[in-house]
Amino acid sequence: MKSTKFTEPRKLSKEEVDRKWWEIGDFFRRNSLWMLMYCTGCCAIELPPAMTSAYDMERLGMGPMATPRQADILLISGYLSVKSLRRVIYTYEQMSEPKYVVGLGSCPINGGIYHDSHAVINQLDQYIPVDTYVAGCMPNTESVMNGFVDLMEQIRDKTAKGWIKYKENNEWYKKNQKAALGEVIIHDEFHE
Amino acid sequence: MMNSMNNVEFLKGLMNQNFKIVETDVIDQYQVSFVLKQADVLQALVTLRNAGWIQMSYLSAVDWPDENKIEVVYILMNWERPVHIQIRTKIDRNDPVMPTIIHIYPGAKYYERECHEFFGVKFPGNPDYQKQLILEMWDDMPPLRKDFDPKAYSDRKFTKREYNEDYLVLSDQNDKKAKREARKERAESLKGGQKI
Repeated sequence: MKSTKFTEPRKLSKEEVDRKWWEIGDFFRRNSLWMLMYCTGCCAIELPPAMTSAYDMERLGMGPMATPRQADILLISGYLSVKSLRRVIYTYEQMSEPKYVVGLGSCPINGGIYHDSHAVINQLDQYIPVDTYVAGCMPNTESVMNGFVDLMEQIRDKTAKGWIKYKENNEWYKKNQKAALGEVIIHDEFHE
Repeated sequence: MMNSMNNVEFLKGLMNQNFKIVETDVIDQYQVSFVLKQADVLQALVTLRNAGWIQMSYLSAVDWPDENKIEVVYILMNWERPVHIQIRTKIDRNDPVMPTIIHIYPGAKYYERECHEFFGVKFPGNPDYQKQLILEMWDDMPPLRKDFDPKAYSDRKFTKREYNEDYLVLSDQNDKKAKREARKERAESLKGGQKI
């Protein structure tokens, strides 16, 4: 005999099911973030205290990752030269989705003290999408940690959509990259 | 090892005996600089290498736009007689050409490429002095020449962030003026530890 106690559950559409799974995924994802640190700038000096016992990134569920293919966050610490921007674009495009970018210090925001250099780009979000900026020259470790917490909240609120933007506005990003770099492809005598 | 002033005397003797030195500058007991004619440079480097200055520490250039010259600088080091030597020579700025020294110091290969990239000095004899080394796809004049304007280049090439309003000066607000004055007065009154 069929029970009268329970009504048949409403059939969910595919979008709704997807959304539920994404929510579950986001919950686990934001509590287990693996970070690839692109430490070419001086702000990288703020990361050892953030990672070790002083501030202990691990208690937020974050850890360092050695390869872009398995990392969730790309951390750009400090100034980016034109030459390393090419490598950053390569690295960013290799990362598996969803992927987030954190810009550390004032150099990725507006060039910082290198705003008039021939070798350093001024605005990182013209070339790759940035989810969180941590301002300061250099930001102290509290604000670095705060930036990570901000990113986790953004993932929870579904506002960390840089990687979707990069897909949707790919032409715009590619145009900017071409204007600054000439060509994104790396011609390097040591690799050819 | 001999004492260090003897090293400088030895070096000066060696150089004056073989070459016509334009200018000698003994900076201290470990650093000596010689200005030579361009034609003497290669011979001087060979002589110095045979005398023990086996390490080529650096090769670079200095731009002198007023004299219309580029000064090429070679820095050598000897581990037996601890003296750094600078060999300097001024060459024409409009068409700077310097013969390569990779057959004397093979390590100079990359320094010459760097020097060509940043100052535009040509090094015929070095098979790939024209290849890019540090700057990639550079499309302007050599950037370490004095008449290169990095700000103009940066403005042309890289997008700048635009701000809607200027930054806020918190230390100079008008509505806090009375408070500021009072604090200043109070600070004056406390000078010397005396309360008035």
